Amino acid sequence: MGSFTQGLKVIALAGNPNVGKTTIFNALTGLRQHVGNWPGVTVEKKEGIMEYKGEEFLVVDLPGTYSLTAHAVDELVARNFILEGNADVIVDVVDASCLMRNLFLTMEILEMGVKNVVIALNKIDIAKKKGARFDIKKMEKVLGIPVIPTNAKSGQGLDELRRVIKAAAEGKIVGNPISPVYDEPIEREIEHVSKVLEGTPLVEKYNVRWLAIKLLTRDQEVIKLILRYLGQTKMDEILQHISEVEEYYKRSLDIVIANQKYEFIDKLMHQFVTHFGEVRETLSDQLDKILTHPVYGIISLLAVFYALFKFVFTLGTPIQEWLGGVFDALGSSIAPHIGDEMLRGLIVDGMIGGVGAVLSFFPLVFLLFIAMAILEDSGYMARAATVMERIMRKFGLPGKSFIPMVLAFGCNVPAVMATRTLDNERDRILTMLINPLVPCSARMVVITFLAGAFFSAHQALVAVGIYAISILLALLSALFLGKFLIKGEESPFVIELPDYLVPAWKSVIIHSWERSKEFLRKAGTVILAGAIAIWYLSNYPAPIGGGLSYAEKLGEAVEPFTKLMGLDWRAAVSLIFGIIAKENVIATYGIIYGVGESEVALATLMKNAMTPLQAFVLGLVTTLYLPCIATIGAIRAEGGNKWAAVAVIYNLALSSIVGILVYNIGLLLGL
Amino acid sequence: MGKLEETLRLIKEGVSNSKEIARRMDISVEEVEGIIKILESMGYIEKVEFGSPACESCPLKKICPGSCIHFKGEIYQLRKSNEYK
Repeated sequence: MGSFTQGLKVIALAGNPNVGKTTIFNALTGLRQHVGNWPGVTVEKKEGIMEYKGEEFLVVDLPGTYSLTAHAVDELVARNFILEGNADVIVDVVDASCLMRNLFLTMEILEMGVKNVVIALNKIDIAKKKGARFDIKKMEKVLGIPVIPTNAKSGQGLDELRRVIKAAAEGKIVGNPISPVYDEPIEREIEHVSKVLEGTPLVEKYNVRWLAIKLLTRDQEVIKLILRYLGQTKMDEILQHISEVEEYYKRSLDIVIANQKYEFIDKLMHQFVTHFGEVRETLSDQLDKILTHPVYGIISLLAVFYALFKFVFTLGTPIQEWLGGVFDALGSSIAPHIGDEMLRGLIVDGMIGGVGAVLSFFPLVFLLFIAMAILEDSGYMARAATVMERIMRKFGLPGKSFIPMVLAFGCNVPAVMATRTLDNERDRILTMLINPLVPCSARMVVITFLAGAFFSAHQALVAVGIYAISILLALLSALFLGKFLIKGEESPFVIELPDYLVPAWKSVIIHSWERSKEFLRKAGTVILAGAIAIWYLSNYPAPIGGGLSYAEKLGEAVEPFTKLMGLDWRAAVSLIFGIIAKENVIATYGIIYGVGESEVALATLMKNAMTPLQAFVLGLVTTLYLPCIATIGAIRAEGGNKWAAVAVIYNLALSSIVGILVYNIGLLLGL
Repeated sequence: MGKLEETLRLIKEGVSNSKEIARRMDISVEEVEGIIKILESMGYIEKVEFGSPACESCPLKKICPGSCIHFKGEIYQLRKSNEYK
């Protein structure tokens, strides 16, 4: 703020994030605020003027932090501000409903030797609802600083807070803060380091005990600071001494000290907080016992996804058939108005046919995204994540791989790019290689079409079956590749489970529409271009049927191999075009049969030419074979040529083996 | 072993959700979540950004049909560099 703030007493607001610090800041300062950045960093700095009883104070809102280590810029900014003695009073806003973690920061502040600290015990109403009762007088006595219960939202306690701030700033209230006490070996080392530091000018500016504790935790900022005064030889001696203490505890002292500080607070709290009433098990807890259970969790997961596909097919299929009819009618109504045969073929069979075959799946895609959004917004996805993570770990995949694996259900390209978040090279490559085996939404179109056309009575079961086989193969591939190709370590993780919520319909619809819109956009670009190319190759140099078109020649060249899995030249051509975008597998069939836009007619013709077993194999092979061009490009960009080649060869080999096995076993079983 | 280290140990052991950690340690979920925040600020675990950063830089963002699968709930992973240094 301007120069008029010079000479004003400074009040710093510290606290954890989301404790109501900003609400208190706004209440104290009103509209007299200024927002800028802290010098040299892009951390927001908020300042404001508080007026009380005719006097003005400069209030500085420090970044919200959970501790005052030097791991994050926010923490460093808050710590340095307090450390440099910039504040006359520090108001520590504490969330009474999460007292333990809040008091951890309080202890970090008090440990810096700051005397003028005032606690604003906020959200006390929520804490009381949870059954907590506070003896404020006792709390003040135990902590050695003033404690003001507040409810920032209603304004309760803020007048008292202003009064205490003014009194503390004027030196009328001086605290006698408590400071954590540690184990004997730690205390001895703190004393040892403190003695060394006492001979330096640091004592004039900093609290020596705090410097010693930070040195024990090997705080890099403090090491740099002390090094300037002690020199390297003395510093090495101290660090050697600290190593001996670490050796005693068999681990680094930062976690030992933090642990002891936490236990210290735990003991303190029993003196001024009591909890009434039993902690009752909520419905959310009861549901989680089933949905995150190692066995029931997997059964629930399969049941949920079966229900998801059942919902999509039951509601979507009639709309899909109607939409197919609309495209059919569109083609029929346009055809007579185009005189030129070639142009008519291009527009009706190629463009409307190819794109229409894919677009008629829009209702299914939209419903799938609605179902996914419901699962996400209800909080179920987080439960599914814990179940999946447990399985993935058994197959040697790091926990963090779960993220790219889930993304892959949408699209493999961002999923491959998301493997960047894995810092371990082995984990990154492994996740990248198995990622294309997770069925993306493009393959969902092919799976739903084939399941609907060939297995109408059990379409949801067949779709879930193909998904389950693909995921199982992805996991087995991880086990295989991890054992023989890429070795490394795991990286565990933890998920904070949100409460179950009834999804807000508006948000579900908006979210689903946003995703579905992209499907439409893809149909108008990549699929359209693919459809034109397929139409050209199917009609030149002669129309399909005589064995002269480029498409037939291409298909016949590959057919000897695809025949091993029961797939003819049409399937071979479809799979080749599917490499551009997986939806093209259906679009190609539409163009080859010359019925593109009519999904019902296409299904009838395909049923005459294929058995359900062949259709199942086609669905499975489409899911497993080569990643689409964009995914191969992403793997090449993220992992280089070598791993892109490995992905192509591995997927091709795996899909061939699975396709041949499933087809021949099916024949043996008389399917 | 104190609560902070016990939480770290359970995460390392593969207990992947806060409710299960709370149950095993006989403390509230809120306390576990508080411990997670403290461990994060100490650099022992780190928050995992889910999905959006990778999607934002994806060249297929404009034509991608399902680039933003997400879920509620926060994920934290153990940082190897700080794991019992």
